[in-house]
Order: sequence, then structure tokens, then C-alpha cells
Amino acid sequence: MKKLEKSDCRFPSTLKEALELLANESTRGRLLAGGSDLMVQWAAGMEPPPRVISIKGLKELQGIKEDDGAVVIGAGVTHAHIRSSKPVQKHLPALAAAAATVGGPQIQALGTIGGNVANASPAGDLAPALLITGGEAVVASRTGERTIPLTKFFLAYRRIDLKPDEMIVRFVLPKRAAGEIEVFRKLGTRAAQAISKVMCAARFSVKAGSFETCAVALGSVGPTTVRLPKLEEWIIGKSASEETLAEVEKRASDEVSPIDDIRSTAEYRKWVSGRLVRFLLES
Amino acid sequence: MGPKRKIKSGHVGADSTRVDAPDKVRGRAVYTDDIDVPGCWYGKVVRSPVAHGRLRSLKRDEEFDWSRVSVVLPDDIPGKNIADLFIHDMPFIAHDEINYLGEPLALVAAPDRELAEEAARHFHPDIEELPGIFHMEEIVDLYKKQDSSLHSLGEQTTVKGDIEKGFSEADMIVTGEYWAGYQEQLYIEPQAMIAEMTDDGGVFIRGSLQCPYFINPELCLTLNLPPEKIRVKQEMTGGAFGGKEEYPTLIAGYCALLAMKSRHPVKIVFDRNEDILFTTKRHPSWGRLKTGLKKDGTITAIHAELLLNGGAYTTISRVVLARGILHAAMGYRCDNVFVDGRIFKTHTFPCGAFRGFGAPQATWAFESHIEELAKACGMLPQEFRRKNCLVQGDVTPTGMVLKDSVGSPAVLDQVLDRSDFAKKLKQSSRGNPKHKKWYGIGLAFFAHGSGFTGDGEARFKAKGAVELDWIEPNHPGVNIRISSTEMGQGAFTIMDQIAADAISIPLDDVRCPLPDTSLCPNSGPTVASRTTMVVGHTVHGAGLKLKAALEEFASKEVFEGRPVVLENGRFVCSGEALPFRQIAASYLDKHGRLRTEHQFTLPPDLKWDQSTFKGDAYPAFSWGCNAAEVEVDPLTFEIRLKKVTACFDVGRMINPLNCKAQAEGGLVQTIGYALMEKMGIRNGKYDADRMQTYIVPTMPDIPEFDITFVEYPYEFSPPGAKGIGEMPMDGLAPAIANAIENATGLRCNRIPIMPEDLFTLHRAKHQNG
Ligand SMILES: Cc1cc2nc3c(=O)[nH]c(=O)nc-3n(C[C@H](O)[C@H](O)[C@H](O)COP(=O)(O)OP(=O)(O)OC[C@H]3O[C@@H](n4cnc5c(N)ncnc54)[C@H](O)[C@@H]3O)c2cc1C
Repeated sequence: MKKLEKSDCRFPSTLKEALELLANESTRGRLLAGGSDLMVQWAAGMEPPPRVISIKGLKELQGIKEDDGAVVIGAGVTHAHIRSSKPVQKHLPALAAAAATVGGPQIQALGTIGGNVANASPAGDLAPALLITGGEAVVASRTGERTIPLTKFFLAYRRIDLKPDEMIVRFVLPKRAAGEIEVFRKLGTRAAQAISKVMCAARFSVKAGSFETCAVALGSVGPTTVRLPKLEEWIIGKSASEETLAEVEKRASDEVSPIDDIRSTAEYRKWVSGRLVRFLLES
Repeated sequence: MGPKRKIKSGHVGADSTRVDAPDKVRGRAVYTDDIDVPGCWYGKVVRSPVAHGRLRSLKRDEEFDWSRVSVVLPDDIPGKNIADLFIHDMPFIAHDEINYLGEPLALVAAPDRELAEEAARHFHPDIEELPGIFHMEEIVDLYKKQDSSLHSLGEQTTVKGDIEKGFSEADMIVTGEYWAGYQEQLYIEPQAMIAEMTDDGGVFIRGSLQCPYFINPELCLTLNLPPEKIRVKQEMTGGAFGGKEEYPTLIAGYCALLAMKSRHPVKIVFDRNEDILFTTKRHPSWGRLKTGLKKDGTITAIHAELLLNGGAYTTISRVVLARGILHAAMGYRCDNVFVDGRIFKTHTFPCGAFRGFGAPQATWAFESHIEELAKACGMLPQEFRRKNCLVQGDVTPTGMVLKDSVGSPAVLDQVLDRSDFAKKLKQSSRGNPKHKKWYGIGLAFFAHGSGFTGDGEARFKAKGAVELDWIEPNHPGVNIRISSTEMGQGAFTIMDQIAADAISIPLDDVRCPLPDTSLCPNSGPTVASRTTMVVGHTVHGAGLKLKAALEEFASKEVFEGRPVVLENGRFVCSGEALPFRQIAASYLDKHGRLRTEHQFTLPPDLKWDQSTFKGDAYPAFSWGCNAAEVEVDPLTFEIRLKKVTACFDVGRMINPLNCKAQAEGGLVQTIGYALMEKMGIRNGKYDADRMQTYIVPTMPDIPEFDITFVEYPYEFSPPGAKGIGEMPMDGLAPAIANAIENATGLRCNRIPIMPEDLFTLHRAKHQNG
């Protein structure tokens, strides 16, 4: 890429080295993982930064591990890896489904979970599936690690709770409990290579005909991906009946305030948010 | 019954793989951007940041070192500052009134792209901004109010019978309005051109283009050069779809003006963003139909209006409108027809040629309307079409008698049969709340004129040539010399087949080099679904002449005057035979190159009146029918196209494989037109200006295709082909809309049709009870 010729590109071989570079203001640079967001921005005319730190291939950011209660995914893990990972498919099926809808095979082979989250686009497909797990992001700097609940990680449009000397190193994502269902659905303008109009993930359980647990998250309906706390609170203990679901549709729709943009309209998004939540909780 | 279906002889009628494919799939094909011209500079257009205004001045930063670059301003133009495209209403470089955002204010060239781009940023136009008009909605609004502030860029009517009488005979009158949006060609290779000065003071222009003989002579006026000093060569072209029909004259002009000023060869290659923002699109359109019907489904009157958003200047729009109105009420029997077409100006980039050329817009409106007509008289859509469709012997809206080569009702019957239409129509959901997925099937039937409008081909007199020459060292063979271009549609493969058959030699002995105006006669532009039918005919004729000349030579020089026939690559004379290459080599040794030419003619009884638009609108029509099957998700109103059954009559198929490829490609392009490719104008600019936002179908969006052909050859013009290139764009959009209505009970009168539109219609329906 011609435009990067003017940037100082570093290729640290360990996480420690990378964090060292980040720690020092004079060597700090833009982190580059798969580059599938950044390269596009640069090609579209955004001036590339003076310094770039490639974290692609850093071993410490790789791997999907399982412990008793959680699946731990390195920030450098690709969508292709996530969608085909057995533990993710088993314990976090919404995330596996979400990763499978990102772009196409080429993008899935390049793009990473860390990049998707750090990019913090409201249309980032992984975020809803991450938010419903109640999991955490672990970020690191030279001085140590910090753990942030994912529900608090997305601060504003394209902003996450990350300091200039920090990077995301992994995600700790609690497995769904026995009996909990996880579902994901994305609406795009075409079947592949589509940026979402709306996408929705849910993790919930129904016991003896009533909702026992429920987490719902929607993307592309506001400046950040959102959970629906009011709906989640309301639904607990309600019977999984037609009336409840009709009310779910209405409440979910009321709880989001999307906008018009090139991909869709505010009205449709608001309506279809309710429809999607209802559909997911029906499954 | 139609004529015999299988007419095979040698290569014509057989599947032949594309001659240009091996180089393209191996990445060996050399495109304009790959060509390294020594000393070549890079050109950049300085564009207006406002859509409508008056240019007060164009300032330049004094700190910038202008000695390193070359600048062309209106005063530097050697000839007239006019883009000689049909009508002289567009300057090459704006100097006073600015009419669209991006209109050129200056040209700049530099030794490299970065410097050219940098220089372009050092221009500062001072523009008095004026209010503009941008949208089809604004046009239609003013048109309905008969507001005189609308600026017309052209209009045309055609009248048959007595429209008032027709309406007075009707039992009912049905009206409808139908909108269609922009469409971007999105060829894989963006616009690219190189120009360099030649020793004789002329220019040599080469690049990605469809019509070499458009650029020459269209640049004569601007460059102040006679046509023989402007040489144009097509380079390998990665798709065009009309987008490289008239537009390349402009980019070629920019390169040529910069080359003349800088005295360096100059190349311009657009990136995707510039290409989408500042090249032509399909005209947005609005059609209003009013039709008189008898209870039994007889059509007594059709009143059709077709409005096009022409953009800022006329360019090719009148020709597009002509094809539009000739298709606006085409396909069905009716004695009283009034068609009125108009183009209106907006402050947007001039709209231009795009596969179908007005016919998709017209057919979209008319075939949507036909569905309404069937409903109004209580007939099934297939019954109504079957009752009213034009067949052999019928008369079209312009008064053309369909004497022969009429694939109707064959295409309709074939699709109804193969798609099991009647049964599937009954299964359609019509918004049934009990269905988990809404299923619907929809139909469209249409015709598409092949070749130039009316007697255009008769007046144009297209010529094609073949040349016996050394096509490789020690390999005598035949070069086809035509100005038709290969842009991925398979034209050269078909020309090879036609020439090889006419001469009766193997395909290996024939080739079709990229056209060059210094080597090829003018066989016309590669447009209007005319290449196979018209230019194929000239190649066929030239081939027969070459064959005769070689037979005569062989007879005289080898077989002592006995009659000789060249057959399957061998000269045969009463039992003896000599290979083609041997005789060809001895001809070349003795006489050098042999060139024969043939000119296209039309039947002498073809009549056309250009002022009234009455008569034989085209040499022949191709016919088509599409059935679309869709699935709509009642939960989200997402639309999935599941299957398309299509049948076409394109006359004699020269290459069935390629016909199928053309049909598939065109249908895929229409899926985008009908369901995805939404483009609006915001702040004077296209809002979907990159591939991230301009959504075209990808593989998973493509449905099952059932594509078949029926052959009704155009006998007047051997080898009997009609056009196929454009027709696949015509019918699928209305077929999809009709299918969506059968699935949901919601009628969409606007393409592209999005889930958002269905939601709005659904809500409106429920609010109104
Ligand atoms: C054709 C195409 C289609 C696409 N389709 C989709 C889609 O359908 N859905 C979707 O969600 N996205 C899509 N994307 C966007 C993109 O592919 C994803 O967001 C991807 O996951 C980004 O990851 P990356 O590793 O490539 O990020 P990069 O481009 O390398 O980085 C993105 C941002 O994250 C930062 N970053 C990266 N890693 C870290 C880290 N460990 N810690 C802190 N900051 C970090 C970078 O500095 C940068 O700001 C698409 C992109 C393209 C080009």
C-alpha cells in the first residue's frame, strides 16, 4: 500500500515489545491487526498515521481457550477461527453465528475480534453477541492488565474505554448455562459482504414456561451496540406466551432510537428491532 | 409453429469458449493501467465543489511550484470549448455557469499521480452558488403542475390511431405511476485512457472504451484536428455496460488536451470513488400509464408518459429516450396508442448509456402496469398476456408489421410451462398471516429492438472487413477488422465463429484484434444489441467474399481453372484437396495481404419517419419472458429471489453458451437494479459513492436460473442473429415486483424495492384499514 510508505511501521515480535512501544509517546503508533478496517479507511483518503504497530501474528493474542465457566478468546483471533471453533460453537453459538456473517471468506480470514471491537462501529457484528455473554475485555499496558465489563466498554460512537498506552489482549466470555439458548440474526442489504442494517443477539432461558434469564443486544440502532435492560428486567418471570412476545416486540422497539442513514431508515430499524427480538426469543 | 429450431453448420450454433478468456483468467491480459508509455504523465481533473453556480474566478496558490505541472484552462483548448456529444450544450471545461458538482474547471498533468493530485488541490474556485434541482421527485412535481421552470433537454412522441376514441370504447380505465432509480454500471475496470501526440501533430488515443469511432470524430471540434489525425485504439476493456459508450470521449479529451499542452503522453485512470461520482448512470425515470380496457381484457387505448432525469447536459439522452418510448407500450395489441417521452435537466452528472438504454425503465413501468390491467379485468396475469401479446402479423405501436422472426408467444409459453406458472401462482401467499414465509411468483413479457432505431442502420451503413494475412510467424490466417469492441460480452468469439464459418476454415485460423481506427472500417459503436446482428452480418459477407477470392486464386494458380471449393479448411477440387494454409501462404507470397469488406443493408421496404417516430422501429425485435419466484420474510420483509425462469428469442444463436452467459449476467445486473442498487443525491452528490455503500449482488444473492432460448432467426441478415446484450435487463425488475405483490399483497411502484419500502406500504395499508 503506497500510502503507508510515509508511516513508520513497527513489527514487534512479542506482546511485551508491543506494549513497550505503546508506552512511550514517541514510539506509540496505531495498532494494526488484520487491517480490514484500517486499510479501507486509508484507501478512502484518510491520512495514515505517522506510526503503525503491527500486532498481526502476536502469539500472545492468539488462541481460544476454555476454562470452567468461560471461553477465553485472544484479541488477535480471526473471524474464520471463531466461526469454526468447537468451544465457541458449543458455548457461545451467537458469537460463532455472528463471526460467520462478517463480510465474506477473505475478510473473515483477516479480520480479528480485537479489531472489530476496537473499531467500535455500531455496525460491528460481533458486539451484540459479545454483550449478551456478560463477559469482559482484558486490556494490557506496560504496567499491567485491566479488566472491563463489555457492557461498559463501548463508550460512544467509535469509542471504547481504552487508554492510549493500552491494547485489548483477550476476551473472557462466560459460557451459556445449561438450558440457556443463544441466537443471532443479522439484516443486511444482501446475503454476503453486507454491513448490518440491524443485528440482534439474545441469550435466554425458559423454565416451566416462563423466562428465567434474558440478555438481548442490538447493533446498528444507535451510536453504540446496546443491551435492552428495561426489556430484560421486565421479561423475567413472564410466561413465554403469545401475549408476552407481542409485548416484547413493542417494548424492544420502544427501547431503541435508531437513525436514518444510507443503509436503512429509522422507522424500519425501530420496527424491525422489535420483530427481531421477538423472533429470537421465540426460538 | 415457429421455424426449424436447429440450424447448425460448423462453428455457428455451437458452444465455443471465449477466445479472450485464457489471458484474462491467467492475469495476462494487459489493461490500460498496465501499459507503460515512456515519459507518460498523469492527468487529473479539477472539479467544481458546487452543483450549480457561476464561476467568478479560479485562483491558484502562488506558493505552489506550477512549473512542475501542466495546466489546461478553457483558453488552452485549441478548438472550441464544446463537448461534441450529439448536442452542443456542454463545455469541455466549465468557464461560466456550472451545472453539476464535479464539472471540470481545469485539467492538470504532472510526472506522477501524487503531484497531479497535489496540484489539483491548489486550485480555489470562487463560485456564486445558485439553487439547483436534483431529484426525479422534483421533476415530477413540477411536471404535474405544468411548471414552466422545468428545463427540457428533449422530447418525442409517437401516436397510433385515435387515443380519445380508444378511451371512449373502454369499459374501464386503469392508471399507474412507476419510478425507477439510478443505476451505476460498476464495470470491474474503472475508466482509463492514454493520449499522446504523434509526429504529424495528431493524437493517438488508447484506452478502455466501447466505441472507437465516437471519440473520433467527436474530438475534432475540441482539438481542432481533422479526423485522420485522431487515431483511437481500444485496449483490453474490463466491462463497460454502456458506461464506456459516450463518456470516454470526455476522458480522452482531457488526456489529449493535457498531452498537447504538456507535450507528454498523458494517462488518466479513475479510482472507484471518482468513477462512481463522476461518470454516467442509468437515467432515473418516472412512467405514467393510463389504459382503456374492455371487460374481456381487450386493450382499447394506451397513453404512456416516460420522463427521464437527464442530468446537467443533453449528451446521449435523446437517443436513450427514443429507445425508451419505443418500448413504453410495446408488446401488446392495441390500436390506439399515445406515447410521450421527455428528458428534464437536473444539476447532476449527465446520465448516459447503460445496457438496455431506456428500455428497462420503459419495460419496468409497462410490465408493472400490465399486471394491474390483468387484475382490473379479473384475468390471471398469464391469461391477460397470452390474450394480448403481439404475434406474427400484428402491428406494433409505431405501426410496424411483425412479418417474421417473432418469438412471441413462444417465449411466453415456454416460461409458463417450464416454471409451472399457473400452479405456482395459486400457491402464492398474498400476505397470508398463516404462512411462515411469503412465497410469490411474477411474470413479465417483453420485446427488445435490435440495432439502431428505425432506418438508423440503413443510413449508417456499417462496414466490416476480413483480411488474409500472417497472423503469426508462419501462420497464414484471417484478421477480422471491425470497430466493434470486446468488453467481456464475447463479441470477438462470435465474430471468429461467424468468419470461420463464412470462409469455412478452423477457428484457429481466425482472430479478432482489438480495434484501431487506423486499421478498421467503421462498423459503428458497440451498442444497441447490434454487434452480432449487424456487424456479424458484415463479417459474414466479407468472409464469403474472401472465400470466393481465394477459391478463384486456387482455381487459377493451382487447379488449372477448374472449380474449387474451400471447405472445412481445405481447397477441394474434384477429389483433390489442399490445406487452407498452403494456398493462403502462396497467396500472401504472391500478392500480399487480401482484404474484403462488406456493408450492412436493410430490406428496401423498411420504412421509418424520424419526425413522427412511425414505421419500422427496428430491423427486428428480440423477445423475452421472465418468471421470478420470491420469498419474503413476514418478520422483516427481507426479500429473497429464489428462482428465475427465463426464455429469450434472440434469433439464431451463434454461440449458445455465450447467449446463456449474457442472459445470466444481465439478469444478475437486474437483481441489483430491482432489489439493491439504491443511489440518491445528497448535497448535489451521489450518496452511494463507493462499493461499501453501492450495493450490488454477490454470489449468494443469485437464485436458481432456468434459462432457455427459442430460435426465430432474422432471415434477412445471415447468419440470422438478433440482439441479446440488453434484453436480459428489461423484464426481471417488473417480474420481481409482480412476484412480490403475489407474495405480500403489496404493490411496489418504485425500484429498487427494499424491505423498508414494504414496511412503509404495509403500515399504510394497515392504517387505512
Ligand atoms: C469488505 C469488508 C467487509 C466487511 N464486512 C464486515 C461485516 O460484515 N461485519 C463487521 O462487523 N465488519 C465488517 N468489516 C470490518 C472489519 O473487517 C472488521 O471490523 C474486522 O473485525 C476488523 O478487524 P481487523 O483485525 O482487520 O482490524 P484493523 O483494521 O487491523 O483495526 C481496526 C481498529 O482496531 C484497532 N485494533 C486492532 N486490534 C486491536 C487491539 N488488539 N487492541 C486495541 N485496538 C486494536 C486498530 O488500531 C483499528 O483502530 C468489513 C470490512 C471489509 C473490508
